[in-house]
Amino acid sequence: MIKVIELKNLSKLYGSLRAVHELNLTVAEGEIFGFIGPNGAGKTTTIRMMGGVILPTQGEIYIDGISMAANPVEAKKRIGFIPDRPFLYEKLTGMEFLKFTADLFHVEKALFEKNAEVILRMFSLLDWADELIESYSHGMKQRLIIGAAILHEPRVIIVDEPMVGLDPAGIKLVKDLFRRLARGGTTLFLSTHSLEVAEDLCRRIGIIHRGSLIATGNLSELRQLARVQESDLEAVFLKLTEEDVPS
Amino acid sequence: MKDVITLLRPRILSMKNRVASGQRRGKMLVRLFYAMVGLIFWAGLFAIFYRVLRYFKNVEVFGDLLAFKLLAMSLITFFSLLIFSGLLTALSKFYLSRDLPLVHSLPVPSEKIFLARWLEASADSSWMVIAYSLPLFLSYGVVYKAGALFYITLLLHILPFCLIATTLSILLVLAFAPILPAGRMRSLSFVLGILVFLLLLISFRLMRPEQFANPESFATLLVYFKNMEMANDPYLPTTWFFDSIRSALSGATGKALFHTALSWSFCGSLVYLTAWIAGPLYLKGLSRAQTVYGKRPGFPVLRRLRWPSPLQWLPGPVRAFVLKEIKTFLRDQTQWPQIFLLAALIVLYLYNFSVLPLERAPFQIVYLQNLFSFLNMGLAAFVLTAVSARFVFPAISIEGGAFWIVKSAPLSAGTYLWIKFFIYFIPLLLLSELLIIATNILLRVTPFMMTLSVITMLFLAPGVVSLALCLGTLYPDFSSENPAQSVTSLGGLIYMTLCAGFIALVIALEAGPVYTIFMGGMRGASLSMSQWIWLAGSFSAGMILCFMSFVIPMRIAVRSLGEKLDG
Repeated sequence: MIKVIELKNLSKLYGSLRAVHELNLTVAEGEIFGFIGPNGAGKTTTIRMMGGVILPTQGEIYIDGISMAANPVEAKKRIGFIPDRPFLYEKLTGMEFLKFTADLFHVEKALFEKNAEVILRMFSLLDWADELIESYSHGMKQRLIIGAAILHEPRVIIVDEPMVGLDPAGIKLVKDLFRRLARGGTTLFLSTHSLEVAEDLCRRIGIIHRGSLIATGNLSELRQLARVQESDLEAVFLKLTEEDVPS
Repeated sequence: MKDVITLLRPRILSMKNRVASGQRRGKMLVRLFYAMVGLIFWAGLFAIFYRVLRYFKNVEVFGDLLAFKLLAMSLITFFSLLIFSGLLTALSKFYLSRDLPLVHSLPVPSEKIFLARWLEASADSSWMVIAYSLPLFLSYGVVYKAGALFYITLLLHILPFCLIATTLSILLVLAFAPILPAGRMRSLSFVLGILVFLLLLISFRLMRPEQFANPESFATLLVYFKNMEMANDPYLPTTWFFDSIRSALSGATGKALFHTALSWSFCGSLVYLTAWIAGPLYLKGLSRAQTVYGKRPGFPVLRRLRWPSPLQWLPGPVRAFVLKEIKTFLRDQTQWPQIFLLAALIVLYLYNFSVLPLERAPFQIVYLQNLFSFLNMGLAAFVLTAVSARFVFPAISIEGGAFWIVKSAPLSAGTYLWIKFFIYFIPLLLLSELLIIATNILLRVTPFMMTLSVITMLFLAPGVVSLALCLGTLYPDFSSENPAQSVTSLGGLIYMTLCAGFIALVIALEAGPVYTIFMGGMRGASLSMSQWIWLAGSFSAGMILCFMSFVIPMRIAVRSLGEKLDG
């Protein structure tokens, strides 16, 4: 198994608040790993640390064997990062944003020309390619960000809430795309609130609660851990994350 | 009325909470500083008006004529400002505010929403004009030794005066919003407003008002005023205000109250009319404002053409950011007026040098020309500072919510900052060199002063840009709707202060040696060894200072941006 994502004792403190606590995790090449947890559990913080958007307080992140702390530029070159909120440069057109991303990631002209149109067509944005992003809907922006993230053919895709703002057709498109990319050897790490998405897409699922990874495995392993039989992910999730009720 | 107050409450509570929570020392200091600046400006205005009115009062026959002409012109100016400010505020409040979808989803009749917004827009667009018109009115009161009637009339009249202007703006906006998208209308009115202002400014300067200080010109001015019809249009709100003030100053209570009543009755009718018109028009315009975005008008075929980039030779990340910054700037119409403003100020700057009456000076022309050239270095550097404050300081904040793109890009903090530095440094250096060379040519300075100015600017510019970038990185504001305003923060204040100190120090280090060289040249005397050592020391110190002001802030900025990854 080739480890493409490796998190070692990863912790993040916001003042005295422990957002993420000693997270240890590995994700293999071509795997789709789902990261689920209640609100405020530390999903987005973990995702942002992995994308190099924020620095960990402690611990290490390795992307394709490259340390994010020691060589962030090389590590980031291997990542396609998709945040939960689609903030973009509103005064650029969709095509210009793709070119901007291509330039940042040193994508060859030929590869850009090959990929850009395919991506725009795939996400039904070709007719809007030369319109300003400010005129895009939320879903269109989200699709553009996903498109920009795969433009440079990254080894790893890190996604925070991939389906937010997408219509059913968009959700199906993204799910199919992720499966296809995984088959091609791309590793996907996605954080989501949607248990249906996690159950449907992910080979392995990690459950984070109060900053700690409380369970990892496929659905049947998680069922065993939660001691619930024949239940869906929702029941497993609720069982594992249920709060102690004070007597 | 209860609903209207409820609708206004979030604004009042937000202000209250901001005051309660925003008492950080830095913010307090900035507020205190701007309050002081505002107060000084206010007092300065009062002093100017007071002096002018005193001067007019002493002018026989024409004194009062001039004073009241000034009042009439000022009232028209205030009214125009109120209309302009009302247009922009009304567009924001009625059509573009982020809370509009929420407010309109509430079970409140739309006329009450309209009324609440009208009150808010009126207050927002008028308070500053009221504050800065007071020095004028008070100076009339003091100079003409007015009684209580004047101040009561003023208080009673200024309110309908402002309300009429704002309501007229709202009426205009209401009429055009169903036809023109509110966003475009705001950009358009902003651009037009600034253009009109610039035209007025340039034409005023080209009139060469300094000539009025010349007794012959002043006599002509008086004759002009004497022949001028004093009667103002009786249908204008400015005339009612003018007449009531004049009547109050002369103690004519009846007349003063009559004109005030005229204003109030017109104001009432106008508000009623506007509310009536708003019924069918407001929601129509609002719907249009909420659904304006679509494909851009124009020629899509042309947009689809892929032109080869003239910046292809640049490394990928550099090209990415250069193109992004240029396109974002050019496509944001709200930025254009600032370019016009900058261009107009440069034109005036150069024009001022071209009309300097050097030949009438009591000193030797050569001496004066070179003295001006030396002072001009400082002035040009301050222009550079102001332009950097506007464009370089917000260069990091301007990334806004999209800063995640920078953070997740395979780009080090240092590379990113150096890209930003060069994007701004090159055009700003060209601008400042152009400015200094053009003014020196107009001044016909010696080759020595020309060379010194060009070199000094070459050394000052990196420091000025680097300081702006550093302070902009240390004090970013990613949440602001208008990052250009971030320069009014504590960081902006520190930047301006540091830059002023830096420029003053470099100029001071050069002043002594330049004077010695210049005077030596004029007297034909050669410099002694100690003078040469002093010269070398002073110039070297200046160069070291420039170098440090360039390198140290950039280092701090790189470190700070690296740490911002932790935010």
